[in-house]
Amino acid sequence: MEATVSNYQDQVYSYNGLWDLPSICGLKIVKKENNTIVIATDLFDENPGTSITEWNTKLAKDICDKNEINYNKLIYIEHTPDKKTKLSFNQESFFKVDFEISDEKFDNPKWQELTKDEVNILLTE
Amino acid sequence: MKFQLIFPKWRKLQGQTTFNLPPHGAMVFAATIPDYVEVEFIDENLEEVRYDDDVDFVGISMLLTTQIKQGWAIADEYRKRGKKVMFGGISTMLHAEETMLHADCVFLGEAEGHMEQVFKDFKNGELKKVYNHMNDLPAIETVGPARRELYNRDLYYHKGVQMVDLFHASRGCRYSCYPCAVSYLGGRNFRARPIDKVVEELDTIENNRLFLVDNSLAQDTEWEKELFKAMIPFKKKWCSHTIEDKPEVLDLAAQAGAWYVYQAVFDTSDYIKERVKRYHDYGIGVEGTILLGLDNQTEDDIKRLIDFLLEIDLDLAEFTVLAPFPHTKAYTDLIKQDRIFDKDWNNYNAGQVVYNPKHMSAERLQELYQYAWDTFYKDETQEEKMFKLLKQVVSREVEDGTFRKRRQDLSKSSFGKVVNNKIA
Repeated sequence: MEATVSNYQDQVYSYNGLWDLPSICGLKIVKKENNTIVIATDLFDENPGTSITEWNTKLAKDICDKNEINYNKLIYIEHTPDKKTKLSFNQESFFKVDFEISDEKFDNPKWQELTKDEVNILLTE
Repeated sequence: MKFQLIFPKWRKLQGQTTFNLPPHGAMVFAATIPDYVEVEFIDENLEEVRYDDDVDFVGISMLLTTQIKQGWAIADEYRKRGKKVMFGGISTMLHAEETMLHADCVFLGEAEGHMEQVFKDFKNGELKKVYNHMNDLPAIETVGPARRELYNRDLYYHKGVQMVDLFHASRGCRYSCYPCAVSYLGGRNFRARPIDKVVEELDTIENNRLFLVDNSLAQDTEWEKELFKAMIPFKKKWCSHTIEDKPEVLDLAAQAGAWYVYQAVFDTSDYIKERVKRYHDYGIGVEGTILLGLDNQTEDDIKRLIDFLLEIDLDLAEFTVLAPFPHTKAYTDLIKQDRIFDKDWNNYNAGQVVYNPKHMSAERLQELYQYAWDTFYKDETQEEKMFKLLKQVVSREVEDGTFRKRRQDLSKSSFGKVVNNKIA
């Protein structure tokens, strides 16, 4: 399955979503000295399964485990690319997601919207 | 074995004409149940649930989010009496985890090819908590025909006029629209039923008026044309969602008996105006479906849209407010932005605002929703406009010899209840 590649996506990541539905998202991982930035990109129509937002507690943990990312150094961002329609709710958005993490379990996601500039600063600083 | 299949009631929207159509999904599901099972159907919108009937197994078929709490309550009552209860249907899939708390068994996915196993497990006392076939869609040619003989038919009449029968010619959708969960439910591929199977099922339907409930027929032009060609000899009249905007398709649809379509009106463009006109040019009526409360709508936009509707000669209009159903982009966006303030699923009826709109307060959107209904139907009520559409179809039926008189024995009742007969 082909997926759009952007500055915020280096690979297409496959996961089993809700009810084991085969699902995909875009993924970019930037490891730094003090933290690791993970950007999961919603692939909309190209994703046959569960969205990154619905599955984020499982998905974020899964990505961390498979890529040896320290949970405590994780900066996790959900990216929805511009669907290129005239509808405002289809425009590009970034949300930083904070999880409560205990006993190897991610829970209670809290979203905070970021501007593109803020994301770019996080990636480059 | 006796299986009681129940379709829970829900609270209808105030101020709107209520029509009870014969539920479709439950009958499509019933067609997948093994022959040795005796099935009895109860539509709780029209009949009381009979908790103390002598039945072995209970199924609850749920279509709407606003129906699920009642479905759970029914299940709780049966389970108190020691009956096993299975849930299935669209809103079961949307609310599966919560529904499991009230179920012995939850079926997820499409039922074709799987019920032999479920009933065998029930007989053996080995019912599984979840039958997950979300990722295992059946071959489309195995679908149907729906078991319409299970309806208590006399209940689906309003003043002697029979309600349309529901029918589906496809499943799934290749689009993934902002407020819609269909692609989650039926897969992101349009799956058209083979025309011979559609014909086989049409042949079993006695009703001469149908509602094709497919989300959009406009997904495969050649199949759509073949479908309409195959429907012509049946001389049925039908309503549906969008038909593809091509002269040859519209012409075939009209020949096949297209009565009126539900057409989304999302802006005030000439495109919409012309689209409505083209339907009318082919003798097809248009009921505009207008979704209010999207993030790109200000108060002025909504008022302009309503003025526009009055200019474009719509036959009917149906207004809804955005309801963020689970497994839609609308839901995840609003959750992320912490804008959903009402989590009571009874209120997810597309007439009640449950979230904070972007450009106005929730209260203001609620007022505009009411303003939309009031303004559009100011000079002619919804029932009067519906009656006009009915007259159109009656004329066409008289022309082609398919008209059936209303049933006199039911002329003073509406959906099983006696009413005053104010309108002829």
